[in-house]
Order: sequence, then structure tokens, then C-alpha cells
Amino acid sequence: MSDAWLSCFDLKRHYKRGPQTVRALDGVSLDLREGELLALVGSSGSGKSTLLNLVAGLDRPSEGAVVVQGRTMSEMNQRDLANYRARNTGMIFQSFNLIGHYSALENVALALAFTGVPYGQRAKIAKAQLAELGLGERVDHRPADLSGGEQQRVAIARALVTDPALIFADEPTGNLDQDNSEQIVELLAGLCLEGRSVLMTTHDLELAGRYAHRILRLNYGRIEEERELPENRRRS
Amino acid sequence: MSFRDLMRMALGNLHRQKLRSSLTISGVVIAIAAFVAMVSFGAGNQRMIADQFDDLGLFTTMLVFPAETGDSLLLDEAAVERLSKIDGVRLAYPYDRFDVEVSWGDTTVSVGAQALSESALQTKYYSNLEAGRLLDEEAGSILVTEELLEQLEVEDADSFVGQSIVVAVKSASLDSAVARLFSDPDGSLASRFAALDMDSLWKEGYLDGILRQELNAGTKRFLDGYLNAQTLTEESFQVRGVLEGGGSQRNRILPVILPVETARRFDAAGPGADPTELVPRIMQGEIFSRSLQSGKSYSQVTLDVQQFASHTALSDSVESLGYEAFSYASQFEEIRRVMLFFNMGLGLVGLVALVTAALGIANTMVMSILERRREIGILCSLGAQPGDIRGLFLVESGTIGALGSLGGILLGWLVARAASAIAKIIMRNQGVEVMELFATPFWLIGIAMAFGILVAVLAGSYPARRAARLDPVEALRQE
Repeated sequence: MSDAWLSCFDLKRHYKRGPQTVRALDGVSLDLREGELLALVGSSGSGKSTLLNLVAGLDRPSEGAVVVQGRTMSEMNQRDLANYRARNTGMIFQSFNLIGHYSALENVALALAFTGVPYGQRAKIAKAQLAELGLGERVDHRPADLSGGEQQRVAIARALVTDPALIFADEPTGNLDQDNSEQIVELLAGLCLEGRSVLMTTHDLELAGRYAHRILRLNYGRIEEERELPENRRRS
Repeated sequence: MSFRDLMRMALGNLHRQKLRSSLTISGVVIAIAAFVAMVSFGAGNQRMIADQFDDLGLFTTMLVFPAETGDSLLLDEAAVERLSKIDGVRLAYPYDRFDVEVSWGDTTVSVGAQALSESALQTKYYSNLEAGRLLDEEAGSILVTEELLEQLEVEDADSFVGQSIVVAVKSASLDSAVARLFSDPDGSLASRFAALDMDSLWKEGYLDGILRQELNAGTKRFLDGYLNAQTLTEESFQVRGVLEGGGSQRNRILPVILPVETARRFDAAGPGADPTELVPRIMQGEIFSRSLQSGKSYSQVTLDVQQFASHTALSDSVESLGYEAFSYASQFEEIRRVMLFFNMGLGLVGLVALVTAALGIANTMVMSILERRREIGILCSLGAQPGDIRGLFLVESGTIGALGSLGGILLGWLVARAASAIAKIIMRNQGVEVMELFATPFWLIGIAMAFGILVAVLAGSYPARRAARLDPVEALRQE
């Protein structure tokens, strides 16, 4: 556990929906280690996205704790959580979540606005990040003018531009075809080589099996199965 | 997120929603324009009054009167001397008024005259010279005002400078008044004494009636002698200059202004023909004195005070000497206070319109939040703090207020100019002196701008709070 960047201890997230209590997450403990690609798999409603939102600091757990590099998240105030999201994490979504009226460059540069990078330097940094992901010619295009794969790469560029240690990807291949899905997961796996830790939720067991270092299967808010994939670790 | 980032995003968002933004901004423009135009009217009137006060030198003029108490001190030369020594007083001079007859060519008119020293004429109160120059030591010089020119039916003030006029002062004779008192035109005293009904002498009211009858007849004879045996003192003068005249109600600049020395010569001729001049003499117990033991006293003294002297302190000093003070500056303060309420009333009309515009802003911002929930979620996921989200919407509403205020100030100014032009045409057609009724001073622009932004920010504060409280997970989930 000592090399864990992020740890969850008996994490629970219960919602009240009318008279019923929905146990979206019901006692999950896990570690995300440095340079690890951890895949969360499970059917819809199993609690994958809820877990991702909790570790990303977008939501608060009902019980349990999330510890990031020695700091317990429940002890952080709103400002600390916002800083944590801005400087330590990058988020990638199934539906890309790009701002439609911004160009690819503006979308990526926007993430830098929350880390104190001066305005004059943002475009240069964002452009370099997009070029690194093969989108050097697409910087001025709006999301609507890009393919699904390109949009997701813009989203990855936005997640990476602040140089975070943790990448949270919520179904990053959910809206992509097979080829693009392969490319995106390969890209995420490549980030682990740089020492980043990636927590990815996916329905695609086949892709997860090929690239993830470890797979956790969630069911009804609990970890049902944990599988180490040492061959993927060795390959990377 | 820096303010510059918030500003850039806010402008971008407003630009994207051009129609909605411009309609919302239009509401603010109309409200601020109404506010500016209304208050411009109040400010214009206030400025007009202030300019008139300043033109007349009233801000540096105070008047001193005898106190209205029973044993009030006289305003004589000694009093003038004491008043001139008050700290902050540059000059104290008496209001020495008398009646004269002015003859020019075949025309003779009766007008008021006053004696003024050369230093008094140097004060701002007498600075509105229409033609010629002020009096100097040269003997035989006189100043007149436009009022005299009107009476003499002279149209060109310049042409009147250098003209010779004859000024005559009628003096009454106390000697003839006394002689007439003791004369007996209705028969001898003895015959009236003989006519008395001795039997009725002790009847109630008889003697009292006889005495009253005698006193009435005696007073009538005294005044007949005083008024009808007048002497005329005449002197020819050359008109040195023409003043605009007028002055204030309490301190009118009279049609003829004579040097003090000349006035003294007229004084020496005797008391004025105006029977009211008897009153101060009677009050001083000097009605039958050949010359006044207590010296000449005045109805009021004018103080020319330093520019920034405290009128309250000066009034206190005057009152401590036993006189009453009247300060135009204090009167102006009263007017300003009234004008403030007037302006507030006018401004309120504009502010009511601004409240309506504020509701439009709030509505626009609420709509904007509903449409941009996902964007708010994205910003949160990127590290935006609730304060950033709140700031973004406040800057947006503030920008609507600022742009609306700028437009409103411009429109309000144009409306004020147009109204002013129309008012001037009407004044010209009515033959009234043309005045500027509207003014848009910098403070009004500042207040309008501040109000516009403040009201817009207040209107945006509720939607901004709502946006900052959005659950980012829910917001990101929105399609």
C-alpha cells in the first residue's frame, strides 16, 4: 500500500430516492498505484462512475475515506478539492464533455486557467499538447467538426495539459468504434509509462484485459472480483 | 481563475447570445437613460442657481442687520469698523441708500441711489460692468445701472458712458416743520381756547378728545412743514460706467452709484425728503438736533468675505457683536438640500425603470444557467471553485449592467441635449432669458454607471449563487 497514489477505505455512497435508499457504492476499498492502469468493469449501475466521481473529488462519500498522497479527502474544503481537481487530476468522459462553442485549443487551454498559468502561455502549452496527440492541424476546429476519436483525444489533451498524476477516465471508449477505442486505451496505457496512474471504467472487458494492469469487477456497489494482469505490466 | 479570464468568458457568452443579451442590455440602457436625463434636469437647475449666485458674488457676500431685539445696536460707522475686523472679512461697507432725481436732456426720473467706496466697487458683487469703467478718485464721476438706462430709454450702454447727468437730492427742512407746527392757520390759539365749553371740561372724554384733536393737527402741520418746504441740491456728473445692476433682493444695486464723498455733500444738505428718514432720528432722540450726535446709522452693512471662509463662523462672529447676519452661501446650502430631494425624486423614476431592467437581467441569467449546466459541470471537473462559477455569472450580469449603463448614459445625455435645445427655442420664442436647464456632470455619469452595474450585479447574484451550488455530478450528467 505504500506506493499507492490513491486509496479508498470502505467507501460508501448511498442516495435517498423517495422512500428507498440506493446503495450506489457499498464498501469499496482499493489502491491505485503509481504508473498503474486500473480498470473498473461491471454492468451499468454497478457503481463504477460513482466511485470515479468520489475519487475525483466531484462527490462526497456517505461513509469511508479517500486518501490521496497522504491527504484524506473528507478533510479538504471546497477550495482544496477544486485545487486537487485542477492540479492533480485529469478527467476523461464517455461523452467527451468538450465545450461546444470553444475550439479544440480553447478547450484544452481552459484547463490551464485553473492552475494559474498566465493567459499568454496557455495557447502555446495547449497547442503543444494537442500536437503531441496528433491534433496539431485541428487546433482551431470546434468539437462538432471533429470525429469521435478526435474529440476524445482533445479531451485527453485537456486532461493531460496540466500534467496531473492521476487520470480518471469514465467509459472513455463508450462512444467510439473499435479502432478508435483501441487507440484511446493504448494512449491511456502509454500514460502509465510516464508514471501517471489511470483509473478507467469500461464495459469493454477485452480491451481492459489487453491493457489494464489490474481489473476490478464491481457489482451492486461492491468489488466482486480483482484480477492482476502481470503480463500487461511486464509489457509496459 | 483570474478576473481577466472571467471577463473574457463572460463577454464570449454574451456575444454568443447576441439577441438575448442585446434585449437585456436595452432594458438597462432605457432605465439608465431615463435616470440620467431626469437627474440632468435637476443638476442643470442646481448649476444654474449656483452660477447665478457665483456671478453675483453672493458666495463671498454676507449682509448684517441690526438685531430685531428691543435694545438693538445701531449699524453706524463704528459698527462697520468692528465688522471689518472680523477674521475672514475682506471689507465691510454700509448700504447707504437715498432717493435722487436724475435729469438727462429733457428727461427727469426719480430713482434710488447709493454711496459706495472705491474698494466696495472692486468686490465681485459689483463686477458686472456693462460699459465704461468703475469709479475712481476723480471728482464728478458717477456709475449708473441698466435700470436707469431703461428709465431714460437709452438702449446703448456704451454710448451713455461719458454723458453728463444732473443728480438732485431733495432735503427736508426741520426748521420749517417746527415753524409750521407752532403756526396757527385755523385761527388763534386764544380763539380756540375761548371756544372751549368750560362746563363740559370735566366731562368724561371731552378733554381727551380736545387733546387728541390738537395733537393730530400739530403732527399734520409738522409733516406739512417737513415735506413741503424742501430744498433741492443739484450736482452735475459724468457717467463713468454702466453696471448690469439688479443684485439680490436684500441687497439691490440701485440705479445710481455715487462716491462716498459726494454722498456726504448731499447728506450735509439735511435729512432726506422721505418721511421714513424721520423714524431713526426719532428713535435716536435726535429729531431736533442740528446734526446727529450718534452719527449716521445704516439699515444694513455688506461684508465681502474671503473665498473659502466659513459662513457659519462668520455669522457667529457677527451675532456675537450684537447684529444679525444673513449669508447667501447658507441660503444656497438650503437650496442645495431642497435640490437634493428634487434630484432624488427625479432619479427615483429612473431607478424604478432600472428595477424592471434588473428583473430582465435575473431572468436572462437564470435561463443561461439552465442552458449551461453541463458547461458548469465541466468547469467544476477542471478545477473551478464555486467562487469561480459565482464570479462568472456575476461578471456576466455586471457586464450587462456596464454596457447598458454606457449606452444609457449616452442616450440620456442625448435626450437631455435635445430637451435643452427645445427648452431654449421655447425660451427664445417667449422672450425669456435663455438658460441652460440641463447638465450632465461627471458625478452623475459616475453614479449612473455605478447604479447600473450595482443593480445588475444584485440582479445576477441570486442566479450566480444557484450556479455555484450546482452539483457537478448532476450537471455533467445533463445531455
